[in-house]
Amino acid sequence: MKRITAIFFILAAVWTQTAPELGLRDRTPRVYAITNARVIPEPGVVWEAGTIVIRDGRIENAGENISIPEDARVLDGTGKTVYAGFIDLDVETEIPEREVESVSRNWNPGVHPEYVSGDTPFDKKTLKALRELGFTTALSVPNKGIFRGSSRLLNLADSAPENALDAEAVQWVTFEYGHDDKGYPGSLLGSIALFRQTLYDADWYTNARSIFEQYPENNRRPEIDDALEILADHLSWGFPFCFNTTNETDELEMIKLAREFSLNLWLRGSGYEYQRAGEIEAANFFLILPLNFPEAPLVDTPEQALEVSLADLRHWDLAPENPRILQEHNIRFALTSSVLKERKDFRENLIKAVELGLTKENALAALTTTPARELNVDQLLGSIKKGKLANLVVCSGDYFDRDSEILSLWIEGRELKINEMPEADIRGDWTAILKDSTRYTIRFKGKISTPRGSILKDTLSVDLEGVSYQQDRLAFRFEGSSFALPEGYYRFSGTVSDNVIAGTLTDPSGIGWPVSLNFVKNDEEQEQDTEEPVTQSELTVRYPEGAYGLTELPEQFDALLIRNGTLWTCEPDGILENTDMLIEGGKIKKIGRNLRAPRGAKVIDAAGKQITPGLIDCHAHLAERSVNEGSVAISSEVRIKDVLNPDDINIYRQLAGGTTVSHTLHGSANPIGGQDGVIKLRWGSSAEGLFMQEAPPGIKFALGENVKQSNWGDDFTTRYPQTRMGVDQIIRDAFNAALEYEQKWDRYVALGSTARKKTIPPRKDLELQALVEVLRGKRMVHCHAYRQDEMLNLIRIADEYGIQLATFDHGLEAYKLADAIAGHGMGVTTFSDWWAYKFEVYDAIPYNGNLLHDAGVVVSFNSDDGELGRRLNYEAGKALKYGDISPEEALKFVTLNPAKQLKIDSWVGSLKPGKDADFVIWSGDPLSASTRCEQTWIDGKKYFDIEEDLVLHERDVAEHNILVQKVLAQEQQGRNREEGGSR
Amino acid sequence: MKKLICCLFYSALLASGQIPGADPGHPILLKGGILHTVSQGTFTGDLLFENGKITAIAPEIRTTGGYEVQDVSDRHIYPGLISAGSTIGLVEIGAVRATRDANEVGQIKASVHTERAYNPDSEEIPVTRSNGVLLVQVIPQGGLVSGTSAVMMMDGWSPEDCTLRSDVGVHVNWPAMRINKAWWEKRTPEEQQKATNKNLQKLEDLLKDVRAYAAAKAAGTQKGTDANLEAMLPVLSKEIPVYVHANRLAQIEAAVNWSLKEDLRMVLVGGGDSWRVTDLLKANNIPVICQNPLSMPLRRWGKYDEKFTLPAKLSAAGVSFCITTSNTYSNQRNLPYEASMAAAFGLSRDEALRAITLSTAEILDIANRAGSLEVGKDATLFIADGDILEIPTRVTQAFIQGRPVDLEDKQKKLRDKYTEKYRRLGIYGSGK
Repeated sequence: MKRITAIFFILAAVWTQTAPELGLRDRTPRVYAITNARVIPEPGVVWEAGTIVIRDGRIENAGENISIPEDARVLDGTGKTVYAGFIDLDVETEIPEREVESVSRNWNPGVHPEYVSGDTPFDKKTLKALRELGFTTALSVPNKGIFRGSSRLLNLADSAPENALDAEAVQWVTFEYGHDDKGYPGSLLGSIALFRQTLYDADWYTNARSIFEQYPENNRRPEIDDALEILADHLSWGFPFCFNTTNETDELEMIKLAREFSLNLWLRGSGYEYQRAGEIEAANFFLILPLNFPEAPLVDTPEQALEVSLADLRHWDLAPENPRILQEHNIRFALTSSVLKERKDFRENLIKAVELGLTKENALAALTTTPARELNVDQLLGSIKKGKLANLVVCSGDYFDRDSEILSLWIEGRELKINEMPEADIRGDWTAILKDSTRYTIRFKGKISTPRGSILKDTLSVDLEGVSYQQDRLAFRFEGSSFALPEGYYRFSGTVSDNVIAGTLTDPSGIGWPVSLNFVKNDEEQEQDTEEPVTQSELTVRYPEGAYGLTELPEQFDALLIRNGTLWTCEPDGILENTDMLIEGGKIKKIGRNLRAPRGAKVIDAAGKQITPGLIDCHAHLAERSVNEGSVAISSEVRIKDVLNPDDINIYRQLAGGTTVSHTLHGSANPIGGQDGVIKLRWGSSAEGLFMQEAPPGIKFALGENVKQSNWGDDFTTRYPQTRMGVDQIIRDAFNAALEYEQKWDRYVALGSTARKKTIPPRKDLELQALVEVLRGKRMVHCHAYRQDEMLNLIRIADEYGIQLATFDHGLEAYKLADAIAGHGMGVTTFSDWWAYKFEVYDAIPYNGNLLHDAGVVVSFNSDDGELGRRLNYEAGKALKYGDISPEEALKFVTLNPAKQLKIDSWVGSLKPGKDADFVIWSGDPLSASTRCEQTWIDGKKYFDIEEDLVLHERDVAEHNILVQKVLAQEQQGRNREEGGSR
Repeated sequence: MKKLICCLFYSALLASGQIPGADPGHPILLKGGILHTVSQGTFTGDLLFENGKITAIAPEIRTTGGYEVQDVSDRHIYPGLISAGSTIGLVEIGAVRATRDANEVGQIKASVHTERAYNPDSEEIPVTRSNGVLLVQVIPQGGLVSGTSAVMMMDGWSPEDCTLRSDVGVHVNWPAMRINKAWWEKRTPEEQQKATNKNLQKLEDLLKDVRAYAAAKAAGTQKGTDANLEAMLPVLSKEIPVYVHANRLAQIEAAVNWSLKEDLRMVLVGGGDSWRVTDLLKANNIPVICQNPLSMPLRRWGKYDEKFTLPAKLSAAGVSFCITTSNTYSNQRNLPYEASMAAAFGLSRDEALRAITLSTAEILDIANRAGSLEVGKDATLFIADGDILEIPTRVTQAFIQGRPVDLEDKQKKLRDKYTEKYRRLGIYGSGK
């Protein structure tokens, strides 16, 4: 499929160029001059008495003091404000179901980048909602898939064919999953992996096609795939790839992915950008920003308030500040009315953002010039300038004033009425003499077309009801008893003309008599009439947001001396009493007695305290946004590092139990699962900052009941494997495929340069590549397993393929196999005492760790659980309970041994000069169940302190209260406003 | 000498595997142990028991003929630990449906009784008692009213042998009252509120029905027997309490008000937010079973040690409470460490021990039989080589109603089996 090569194909202003005209030709002249209006031709420029001349859809001329062509229809713009038409870059449109199977589409149903949205017009409801906000142009965005397709830019006029402004712009990407029943991808992990694989495939595909076209005889014919072809085009054109995001963590991940493929990155934002504004600014990309300010949380009763997290309350308070914060960070953004629950709330939210400091100029730019420039259509759209399309917004006043209204839109020179403007502005005071011969004042306020009013006499005031103002007819009623008039409703209807409204007042008995309202004065208080001034949030952004977040990251001391502690070194020195530890630059410098504190060193007295290395959890699922790609048996292409969640409160809670490093793993639904992550629990850092960079890569394997889906229910009985026999086969099969893959590459690389030109290279396969790394000892295998048979078999497979396995994880029957495990030279990371929750753990025993240890196996105890992971010292205590082992050796089950198993023992796992200063200060014996973790340090920085925790907690409880009060106060304001009837 | 006695004692049992203990037929005098009586402090002394009951406790009991004297000097003697809430005996392997008997179908199932489905040969039982947990309240699960619980002894030939007390209480799972906004909750807030109201109404209706049933029976007009209403009669007459499982503030307040309005005896189980309403609980004499202190705070913004400090807060406020572990079946042995964590976070060690012995017995209405070392109570006790709140401590002997308990279990047998494997392979030296 070939595409038009000019990406932004500009259509001429006259649209009926190719279609035959039917019937009589319409030759109505379309020349207009809007005069005397307040014109904002572009952000920051104002013509107080501007004129815009429109001819055949284009702006022929615009400015202050320009001449009006004789053939123009003159439209008096006095009192009106005119802007360039607004552009929304993200308006979703349903992708219709495909009726016919395509022969050339991608294998994955979520990959359809060749789809072009905008062939069908927007639905009427969307069209109406967009126009009512002032949008004259919008980008039609496909609504489903991973590679969703590209967009057309459409004008929002009524007749569809002439609306399309360009051929296609922007490829949309969303990490969608789980829609196709049980299909791949079934998780965020899989979705990101598929995205990466597809872009590599696109790269391979163009190359393969072109080599094949030249040398068909030498090569296997590559399949035809529209998706890969168009993606390759988009990549080579530098086409924008716009990712839909749901939070700031998502956004930072996508920035990383965009770098991997040098994409021209756009992000459809999430509203959470303020939480990582610094990183977002540094990445320098274009953002399409929604104004999805959250609804006020439900806090009516104290019980309800208790269930609202501090993070939600804070986001409610801070979200409206997001645009201002982005403005301060100079982030390029356009605004979209999408993502909101109700599109119509866009303008109110925008006004709120402006009240909170987003400048009107920037707000307007984000609706006009910025989107036009980013889309490369600024010759046509975005400002009021000679030669551009006559796309205009005509308001009764300033767009950012709540009381002003959009009167009409001009789209390519045709006017669309939005709100009928009444003949005159009646707002202000009028007088009338009623039947009691008394003078009354009638006061109108609010919007021009929908004024509200009251009737006053002396100090009495009664609201007018049923105020209706259509064309030049005004009607209202009021209840008379307050004014000592006969009880009942008095109804007025009249016609508005200059300074007089002449009509009839009908009294409760049905008798009418003529009454005239005479104009007295304009509504002077209109400005003060609005509500309390909006105040900026008093909150400071925290890392991460919500409870226990930090406003400043922990301090790194040049030198830090811990004095007089009892040190569990986990080294041959054993336990050292009354000993000092000197730390410099985040590393342990020296351990010994009476060390001298360098000048300016921070000194901590640890007399009576015991100090251990930071605890290491060798098997956890901490800080993961996605755990398992469960739709397939082999998923070695997925990576935990793509889905880390630095906001996970369990990071903080692990720190509170002395844990400093977690091996965070893919789940166990597949014989060959995903790539792992070793993280240091640096609370407050971004996802990227959590990684322990030195840790060698690994991968999760799994055996037994989980991978054969034994406990998944009756719907899961068809995926291979369903037996342990099948598990054996599928792992071997995968390794064989990886070997084949490796050989293919070896053969290709060995070709001479001429031969290489004629040969299609092997396709880069992320799944097999990870397995080649396993086969070559570059990726460690951590295998979830329970029964001895399956473990023995994996050892045999490993021996056969020359693989050194790293650990059996859980390995609850490993004690039956200590000889073979020791013989293979691998470790076991196990639960201290879990058992009986499923059949394969019925033979689990708490002596497992000790029996293995006694046979020479490196053993650790892990948590696999956020709660257990914060008291690994308890688990180490169980090694003492269930075996003959020294306390120092027992502690190693959660320090040095897991470090060895993860091959990170050069940096962590013991207290030794040269290693990272990761340590815990305990109130007493760390193996006693009555001991508290008091401080936890990583890289010489303090990430947990039991006393500071109390301070943070009190801060958070107080702040929660304040915010609840704020929600309640604002809700009352809102109710008052509604009762007042202003909006 | 001390060792010798222990060895002899064991060898007699080892030969017969995990066979329920038999009454020795003579008094046994435990001499020179550290007696953690719970009710009368801790001191070094002697304890005598006979015919299943403790008959004397004193710093020194004079030895006369006919006593079997066991020297337990330096050892610690404790009353049997009591777990308040487990499915042990009802569930063998959680993932295997055929072995699950804890959760009957339906919403109102007051009439099901746990002791009647209790499997005394469950492999979990010896594992549990091997760490001193000798009594367990076995509770039903699921629905709005789960059924009726019993306190079981961790040794015996038949369910009847094992039952210390049946009809301990009827268990109610208080309806969730929180509007869940998690992504996986598909119901709207309105639908959730409706479901909550419906369940609350069901509880109200149940009590109305029970009252009508009682009245009809008294009037002699009741036709036939309604199993669930019948099972609720002792709740209505306050013979037994209703155990309300609830954690969150709104639930606790609603449950307490319900119990007051309906005039029921209530025990609060779980009680995560109970520290926020101590006045209410104290004023109405509602005890709290603190379910696993070793668990996470209820909310993201909760303090990390919220559950660790809960028992200390209840204690300070004068609310009666006990501590238990999570209500599963396989690791009840870790009960003491739930109390240890509470002790690390503000509870005194004496109170921590009481919270898994006497306080539990009081709440479960078995304090006349168990919970402390006192003359007249059952000789349900164990001997350990250290402080039972410390993890490395090992239990060396146990008695249930005076019958010596076999402390072997499946796990120890497997350990011994594979120790033998490695001994034969020469991997373990002669020392192992």
